[in-house]
Amino acid sequence: MAEMHGRDLTRRHVALGLLVALPLSFYLASSSLVAGGVGMAFAVSGATLFSILSSSEVDQRLVLGGYRPLELLLGRLLFLAPLGTAIALGFSAVMVVGSGPDRPWLAVLGVELVALQSIPFGLAVGAGVPRELEGTLVLIGVVGLQLALEPDAAVSKLLPFYGPQEIITSGLSGSGPVWGPLLLTALYGLALLFLARLFVSRRVEVTHHARTGTTR
Amino acid sequence: MAAGREAGHPGRVTELVASDITKRFGRTTILDGIDLVVPGGEVVALTGENGAGKSTLMKICAGLLRADAGSVTVGGRIGYCPQIPGLFELLTADDHLVMFGRGAGMSRRDALDRGHAILEEFDFPVHERVVTRDLSGGTRQKLNLALALLADPTVLLLDEPYQGFDRGTYVNFWDHCETWRAQGRAVVVVTHMLAELSRADRVVELAAHPSRQHRDEGP
Repeated sequence: MAEMHGRDLTRRHVALGLLVALPLSFYLASSSLVAGGVGMAFAVSGATLFSILSSSEVDQRLVLGGYRPLELLLGRLLFLAPLGTAIALGFSAVMVVGSGPDRPWLAVLGVELVALQSIPFGLAVGAGVPRELEGTLVLIGVVGLQLALEPDAAVSKLLPFYGPQEIITSGLSGSGPVWGPLLLTALYGLALLFLARLFVSRRVEVTHHARTGTTR
Repeated sequence: MAAGREAGHPGRVTELVASDITKRFGRTTILDGIDLVVPGGEVVALTGENGAGKSTLMKICAGLLRADAGSVTVGGRIGYCPQIPGLFELLTADDHLVMFGRGAGMSRRDALDRGHAILEEFDFPVHERVVTRDLSGGTRQKLNLALALLADPTVLLLDEPYQGFDRGTYVNFWDHCETWRAQGRAVVVVTHMLAELSRADRVVELAAHPSRQHRDEGP
């Protein structure tokens, strides 16, 4: 599954270009590493969202053919995680040179966590919201809110990218919490993965009928 | 109807039994107490007006949709060919064969060998590495049908599988139905093509639920 999703995405040359360009353009336009990081969220979660929505008609047929819903999920994870990590690393290199964070390794970690958190977020939205327009609007709403809100706002702390955002900020400033946001990111990511699994299982549910007791 | 050997067809094993199937979408009843029994070695043509519930019944038999009442039992693996091909736009036919084959426990080589053999029977250009987005509608449908046949199913549920086929391929499809019959498979074909109904062993006509039939109002 990972191989096939990889082939599908790598043939979408414009999408690949945008995956790289989106976080860069957010960063260059605002000179803000946090904005660039959140732009990364738009890109990777968008790619994840559409990878699951574009295959909605095929997925159930694949389960009928013998796959388990978890395999469909893991296949996407196994491909998108390395891709998101690679894009984040590339963006991080630009960011370290451009922004000169006090703790570069922490800023890079924060950006990587944005990319990784984007995948279960995109999977959960794609699996839970059955249509492209609605799913895209949810994505824009959540990521846009994360970008627009002050980090101190109560609502900001409830959003999935708050943890990575705090880590990026700590990396830029040289001080600030690390372990708390890291734990929050991990918990949020696990919760999103759980939701994604729940939604995918419901969406591609196949009834395996009882046998008539015949042989062939 | 009891599963197992069908009384009217001694020696033939019942491969598909759908009993008392009822399905509603919201307040609209699509299927109400529908039975469908298909023994191995029989080709059943499922006909009916638009909206009668043919595709719904097929999806329930395939397990893709849950009935509100009733039960389905099957004698073995199901091969389901949907009316609208569910394919990945940017994957090739080989990619699909490998992916679907792996789900059925086939090796890459076996999936490609068997898939190519099926596709060549329907004149699919197996040697052209073209993504499905760039295939014609009829060619995509041939791949759609091949994916249903790939894992050697016992029961074939084919929902208008010939859409977009040229005349020759369409005739070829019905020739294959006879082959599948001879192989002992239970075959259900949703069709609107009345001219070919004689090639089926039995025709089952599904009528729209009475609550959905419009009545002419008098002046």
